[in-house]
Parts: sequence; C-alpha cells; structure tokens
Amino acid sequence: MQQLIRLSLILIYLFLPRFASAQGLMNGFMKGDRKASLAVTYSQETFDTYYRGTTPFRDPNLGTVTTQAINLYGVYGLGYDLDLIVTAPYIRTEASAGYQPRQEGFQDVTAALRWEAFDYKLGKARLAWLFALGYTMPIQNYVNDNILALGQGSKNIDGRTMLHFKSGSFFVTGQFGYIRRGPVTLDRIVNVYDPSQVNPNSGMKVNVPDVTEAIIRTGFATKRVYVDVWGQQQTPYAVGTDIGPGIPFPTNAIGFRRVGGTLFLRLVGRLGLNFGYSTTLDGQNIGKSTRLNGGIIIGN
Amino acid sequence: MTYTSMVRNLCLSLLLAGAGLTGCKENTISEGVLPYFEPSTTDPDGGTWRTVLLSSVSTITVPAPTAITSDAYQAELTSVKNGILTSTPDQNTAVNYWGQGGVVRWNQIARQLVAKYNTAPVYNDATGQYLTVDPNAPVASLPFATRLYALLSAAQYDALVVAWRAKYQYNRPSLNRQNIVTRVPVADVPSYPSEGAAIAEASAQILTYFFPNEISYIAAKANEHKQSQLWAGINVASDVRAGEALAAAVAAVALNRARTDRFSNSTDSWAAMKAKAPYDVTWESLEIPSRLPVVPLAGRVKTWFDSTTVARLAPAAPPLTNTTAFQTALAEVRATADSRTRDQWATADYWNDGLATYTVAGHWNLIAEQLIQEDRQNELRSARTYALLNRALHDVTTTGWQAKYTYFVPRPAQLDAKIKSSVLMPNNPAYVSDHAATSAAANTILTYLFPAETIWLKKQSDDAIISTLYAGTQYRFSIDAGVQLGTGIGTLATNWGKADGAK
Repeated sequence: MQQLIRLSLILIYLFLPRFASAQGLMNGFMKGDRKASLAVTYSQETFDTYYRGTTPFRDPNLGTVTTQAINLYGVYGLGYDLDLIVTAPYIRTEASAGYQPRQEGFQDVTAALRWEAFDYKLGKARLAWLFALGYTMPIQNYVNDNILALGQGSKNIDGRTMLHFKSGSFFVTGQFGYIRRGPVTLDRIVNVYDPSQVNPNSGMKVNVPDVTEAIIRTGFATKRVYVDVWGQQQTPYAVGTDIGPGIPFPTNAIGFRRVGGTLFLRLVGRLGLNFGYSTTLDGQNIGKSTRLNGGIIIGN
Repeated sequence: MTYTSMVRNLCLSLLLAGAGLTGCKENTISEGVLPYFEPSTTDPDGGTWRTVLLSSVSTITVPAPTAITSDAYQAELTSVKNGILTSTPDQNTAVNYWGQGGVVRWNQIARQLVAKYNTAPVYNDATGQYLTVDPNAPVASLPFATRLYALLSAAQYDALVVAWRAKYQYNRPSLNRQNIVTRVPVADVPSYPSEGAAIAEASAQILTYFFPNEISYIAAKANEHKQSQLWAGINVASDVRAGEALAAAVAAVALNRARTDRFSNSTDSWAAMKAKAPYDVTWESLEIPSRLPVVPLAGRVKTWFDSTTVARLAPAAPPLTNTTAFQTALAEVRATADSRTRDQWATADYWNDGLATYTVAGHWNLIAEQLIQEDRQNELRSARTYALLNRALHDVTTTGWQAKYTYFVPRPAQLDAKIKSSVLMPNNPAYVSDHAATSAAANTILTYLFPAETIWLKKQSDDAIISTLYAGTQYRFSIDAGVQLGTGIGTLATNWGKADGAK
C-alpha cells in the first residue's frame, strides 16, 4: 500500500512540478515509522498597521487587531519515510477600536502527507529531499469578507518540496511551495467598479489568488533541545485586488516577509514545551503582525 | 476493484483535476451570462403613454422620414447590408453587448459609475492624512444615486415614448421585414426613429451631467451603442440620426429639471438644522476622526410625484431616547447584535450596499433587471419599469433624508457603545431606515409590474428591510417607519403606472 501511495506521489510530482506545496511552517524532520506527536499551542498575534496594497496603513476605526488561536497539530508516521500531518486552529480575532464585532470559531482543517523521497549520506552529514501535499478546507462557514475574518474560507491544495540538510545537531531546511486556493462565494453581490466586466454586478463567487511560499529555516536540534530561526516569504501568484472600499477581502493578493524563531525543550519523558516568536518585515494586504506562541508537545 | 486499479484511478483523477486547475484562467469575479430574447410585446400604442418630463409627447416633433423607395434610403440600406457582411470581431462584440437591451445596459453603466464614485475619504493614522481623494469628483451617495437613476430612467422613458409615437406614425418597416436578418433578436417595431440611438443619446447626456470626469468613457459607450444598431442590422443611418435628435431634445428638458430641482443647494450648512432638531440626543458621526455627512439637505429636493401627497407621507416624530419605546428598541438592537447568527450576518452583508457599491437603490435596479429579462420586456417597457421604480426610490430617499436631518436620531452604537455592527456604520442619522423605505417601495412597484414574482419579491424585500437590524445599525421603529413611507410612495408610483396608458 505504501509503495502505491509513494508511486502516486511520484506521478503527481512528475506531471505537476508546480504543485510543490506548503504546510504552514512544516519542518523537515520526519517523525519515523509508527511514531506520533500531538501539539497544543496557543498563539497571540497583534497588529495596528496593515498594508493596503503595499502601503502601510493605520485605521483609527480599527485600532489594534489581536488574534488569539489555539492550534491542534498532530503528526503520525505512516512509514519511516511518510508522515501524516493534521492541524486545526480555533481562532478569536478582535479590534480595539470601532464597531466591528469580534470573530471567533474553528478555522480550517488541514491534512498533509510528508514524504521523504530521497536520503543521501554525505560523510557524517545527511541530505534529505522531501515532498508534501496537503488539503485545507474550512471547518465551518465563517465570515471571510472582513478585515477581522478568521480566514479566507477557500479550499486549498497545497504542495511543497524541501531540502533538509543535517550535520550533527546543526540543520538547515529550504522549502518552496505553491498553494492553490479555490474560489469562494461571498455573502453579497460584488459590485466594485470594474469597466472590464461584461455583465457587472452579477456574481457572488470570487477567486482567491494563489500564492507561492519560500521558507528557509536553520538551527540546532538535539534530543532535549531544539532551536531555530526562519524566514518566510509568501508571494501572490495570481492577479489579486488590494484592500479598499467594496473590495472583497478574499480576492486580495496577499504576500508578506516574516522572520521568526522557535525553541523546544523536552521536559520529562515524552513531554516538551514549545515557544515561538515571529514578526512581519513587510507585506501586501495583510497585517504587519507580531506573533508569540507557546505550547505543549506530547509524543516522540 | 483491485487495489492497483483503485490507486491508478485515483492518480488519474488527481492528474486530471490538477490539469484542470492549472489550465484555467482565474477571473477575479465569476460573472453570469445574460440571455438574448425577442421582446414579448411591441406595444404599438406606446406613443400614447403618459410622459414624465415632457408635458406632452407632442412637444417634440420627429420629422417625417424619407420614403423607403427613395434612393437615399436604398443607399443606407445597402450600406447596412454590406456592413453585416464585412463585420469585424469588435463590431460583433459590441452588437452582442448592446443586444442585451440598451435600457438595461445603460442602467448597468450608471450603477457601475455610482459604485465607482460612492466613496468616502479614508483616513490613514500612519501618515495623519486622508488617502488621495479627488475633491472635484462627485460623491455618489444614496440621494445622488437615486436622483441619477430617476433622471436617467425618466429621460430614457420619455425619449422612447416620443420614438414610439413617431414609429407608428410613420411606420417605416423594420429591417427584418426587408429581408435583413438582424444579428440579435429585436422587437418587430417600425425602424424610424431608432430606439437604440434615442436611449444612447439620452443616457449619455444625463450620465455626463452627473459624472463630468467620465465624459470620454460615456461618449465612447454612446457612440458604440448607436453604431451597433447599424452593425446589427436593426436600423439605417437616418433612423439613428432621428433617434439621436429626439433624445437630445428630451435630455435638454431632463437636464433643465436637474438644474432646478434644488439638489445643488443641498450642501448648505447643516449645523443650524442640527441645533434646532426636535430631538433630545442628536446624531454624531461615529467615525474617527468624525466625518461630515454627505448632502444633508438632499431632503429639500423637488419630488417626482405630487409634492403635497409625498409630504403627507413624511414619517412621524420618532420616540425620544428617554422613552420606554426607544429603550426597548435600543435593547433589541443590542440583543440582536450580541447573538447575531451567521445567517443574519449573511443577510446584513447581502443587503449592506454600502461604500463603493451601487447603493440599496442600485440593488433594486439589479433585481428589476432580472425581472425585465424574465418578462422579456421591450426597450420602452423596460424604461417604464425603471422610471416608475426609480422616481419612487428618489422620492423615498428625499423624504427619508428630510426626516434624518430633521430629527438627527443617533445610530444605536452612539447610545450603547457595546453594540457592534457587522457592516460599516453609515455616516448619517438613523431615522428613518433608507433600506426599509427603499425596499418597501421597490417591492410595492415591482409586485405590481411583475405579479408572478410576488412571493420571491416579498422574500427579497423582507430580508432587505430587516437587514439593518441584523447589522446593528437600525432600530425597529426606524425600520417600521421606513416601510410605511416606502409603501406609501410605492403606491403613488403604482397608481401612476395604472393610469399611464400602458396595459
């Protein structure tokens, strides 16, 4: 069975090289056969400046936007070279000023397969080439056409490839992904002024622009301690809109450059603690946010 | 099925899905496709229908056309025939575009321009400045938009009544009856004067008056519309010229009304009015920084229907904020906002029609467009539908605006800051609800014109009416007063429609 799945993945990547996809901040470490871990993390993200297009903007009617999330993240090794990853966040987001209501609820569930396709020995170091393919869908019909939206509400196919180099405790992982975002149906008829529309004011279904994503991550990993720093760049791939009056939020072209770091400490047995920090350097139609997170990881 | 074949099938379907996904062009908005239709009636008596702007249809005379046996006419006809044989792709695109109906298309164009100009200054706290706004561009607020839709529809309608009268007076046979197959289905009406050219000329003149910055865009559309009548084989050149000329005369009357309807005074100082408002707590802008209301004096604009009758329909004084009635209404807004369901959010969003949209009146124009196409109305009837609807919506807005800037009733969130609204707070006083008034009026008129859609229209209108309570921007008493106002003016329009000569 595993052979067949592997075969199908090979086929997919042979024919669709663009489908290298990305799973949030997936790392390059394989779980191992029949091993599992479950992480419960809490994160808090704030911004008072967001980008309309690429112009920094501060809206006094919005104030500071705070997003809190509880994220469930599970990894299970289906084989020594194949992992199943599942995540589902519960999110609450609110603004400090103005009259916009808080948004709260489950966001999207993501399931992904991570496959270590090749593994080279270079002296004492090892270089692995991995692929991942994921699918994301909203858990519920949350509000998506709002600056405080929990998410974009689209169903996504998400593929990525990774090169993972490890020498002793040092590692570096580079990955590149493409996220195909499906269309979404809004609550309203779109009637932004667009002279190129032949039949204006007729649609509620809009496209969510696809994005590409590149992440580089490096650090040290031992049995008891893991520390890394990373940089992430997301770039809109398809033509999208900029935040503006009447413009549907899901059609906005979203991009950003973020940097961050992670610290993991194994406490006792299979229990560990996880901390993270990240900040946004610049962006496009997204909040210039700073994020702190911490959580418990149980498992191998 | 074996494992292998299952996996193979899975692979194949993934590949196909992948190929489909990567191959398709991604439009930002998925558009609907409009159907072509031959209008269900020709309305030979259309020339006797009651006009709106003109005191009588005979105030504009359309000169008699040359006989179809004349050389001049035959040359024009040959030119149209040759044109059809040598049409270019661009011409075909234009023919298909305008083949959906000129009245409907110009209404769409008007809605798009309203959406473009329905703006508000956007303040950026990061720079301490407003994002660039053109101070000369008009702000297409609800009073501006309803006035535009009303004048546009009235001018189109009057021009078409004049055209219809001349059509059946001179009876120049349609080109379809002269062995020309038109490129799109059209009503079998006499071809002189051209209804398409009349619509184009009247619409372009009205829209240019409202949006002077768009003059070249509008002129290009009008020119294309007129030419498309030749390319489609609907009219010959002299039909088009006659249509243009009569519409220019109608547009002059319409623009004269526009210049004297007191709208241009509607940006006068409003602070004095607020000071003498007969209400205990007066409205304040809830925006940061606070923003001046747009056209607060638009309630003084000349009405379309009898002004005394309209004035009698003006809403009564709202309950003062210290009354039980008011407090109950405020508590209901709070309770609704606190327990807002996803469906209620969707309804509020669907009917929000806020900034950068064609407004709630434009939303009802879109609904009318669907009904016009379902009913296969010809150009004259489409214009009548819009003229009845839009005059009523303008009067509703005028009367509602008067109440807004008489009582200055605060929005719910001004009195209870815990009330969160799912849409951006409209920057004008609450009483009366323009969504409720507009929708009740539109429902009354459209139900009269399209009785087969009574149930569907009621559902639309009920949703629109309650949407502002779901959004957290309106009180129930304001909504109820709006419904009463809208129904009253809607009935005035319906009565006009019953007596205008159209069956």
